[in-house]
Amino acid sequence: MIRFSLLLALLIFLASVVQRYIPPIIWLKESAILLAPALLFYGCLTLPFPAVLGLTFFTGLINDLLTVPFAQESNYSIGTSIVLLLIPALIMHGFSSTFLRGRWGTNLLLAELAAVLTPFLLLGQYGIISFERRAFFYNDVVMWRILGPGVIAIVISPCVFLVLAYLSDLLRYEPQLDRPRQG
Amino acid sequence: MRGTSIAALITFVVLVIFVLIVPAGCKRQWQAAFLNTVAPLFHAASGLTQGIGGVSGGFKKLDELEKENRELKEENAELRTSNSLLKNLESEVNRLSKALGYRERSPFKLVPAHVISRENAAWWNSCTIDRGSADGVGIDMAVVTEAGLVGKIVNVSKNAAIVLLVSDEGLKVSVSIEGTQEQGIISGTRASSNYVPDLRIGFISKTAEIKPGMKVFTSGTGGVFPSGVLVGTVKGFAIKELEGVATVEPAVDLTRVEDVFVITGAR
Repeated sequence: MIRFSLLLALLIFLASVVQRYIPPIIWLKESAILLAPALLFYGCLTLPFPAVLGLTFFTGLINDLLTVPFAQESNYSIGTSIVLLLIPALIMHGFSSTFLRGRWGTNLLLAELAAVLTPFLLLGQYGIISFERRAFFYNDVVMWRILGPGVIAIVISPCVFLVLAYLSDLLRYEPQLDRPRQG
Repeated sequence: MRGTSIAALITFVVLVIFVLIVPAGCKRQWQAAFLNTVAPLFHAASGLTQGIGGVSGGFKKLDELEKENRELKEENAELRTSNSLLKNLESEVNRLSKALGYRERSPFKLVPAHVISRENAAWWNSCTIDRGSADGVGIDMAVVTEAGLVGKIVNVSKNAAIVLLVSDEGLKVSVSIEGTQEQGIISGTRASSNYVPDLRIGFISKTAEIKPGMKVFTSGTGGVFPSGVLVGTVKGFAIKELEGVATVEPAVDLTRVEDVFVITGAR
């Protein structure tokens, strides 16, 4: 479990760096390709609760250190993404027992659920910035900047899940359910 | 819930509260330290993407030469390849000569830098350059190219620095408009394209005679940006209820800019 958690953390770090160099999809209104959320959500489905919290903390902090320019002008405190990511992470963790039963159809649906939850961080960030700057506005650029990565993740998430399932087998990690205390 | 889960949850909550309430200066240092750690990775990734860009650029030139070859029906494949390489070299030399010329003409002390990473995911427009405190780069220094204003430094590590771009909504720059007495504050807009960003000058007099094509320069008020640096060109002017608002096209192509200069002081 520890080896797989560390591997996921390493992959999330690398994905956070690599996605900076992937150009946005122009025909999807410059939507960004995000890889790190799919990795985190796979971890949420397969790791026990303490590791899910650890991975969420790590992902949120890395995301903020890499993407939020530290300045008064950014109107966003480093560390906020940890809280924002916790909500989709816990939703995904709630489905871990379903995922671990191992039916491919259900797992594909859960990969798509991960895609649906991918824009949650962007939506939260947009809400916080809008509140801080007292400027709520909405147009198709905003919509695609939030939803676009989710649309792209519909394709990416199942692929990421497949690769991680293979890596999990390679490391001989067998995910187990959090069991309630007996007696 | 098991004991380990409760302990993990308590630790998580304590850590999150700690991260959120830690003083701003401390967070700046964290980011600088992190930047120092990832800077070599950014250098490598930047080199790799440039390599990929160079290869695709080479193919593009080859395509052009093939078209030319069809018209002339004389050149052979070897000549096309060498010609392509020469053209790539020529554009590189032109680009660097322009930058060198600007550095020599400029009244400022300039530190040349290369963009090694760009933020393109969310709501902040920033990039990372390969110069840091070891090169004399500091927070709040202006970043320019020979074409105009790029942004300002918001965090510095030893060998890298983060630049908040002029297209970011949060960066406010005091500007004046060529040929008028009008001054205003220019900033980016959150909901504009990264590729064709619109800048916006607010608080302009409603009676101002502002026409498309007028140049917008920094006014020097505020002390961060020196006066007279070109910011962009007016695209349009609209009169709102309380103020006039001008939309401006940035002078620098912020999505492609590679070589920049950090203004470290006056000569």
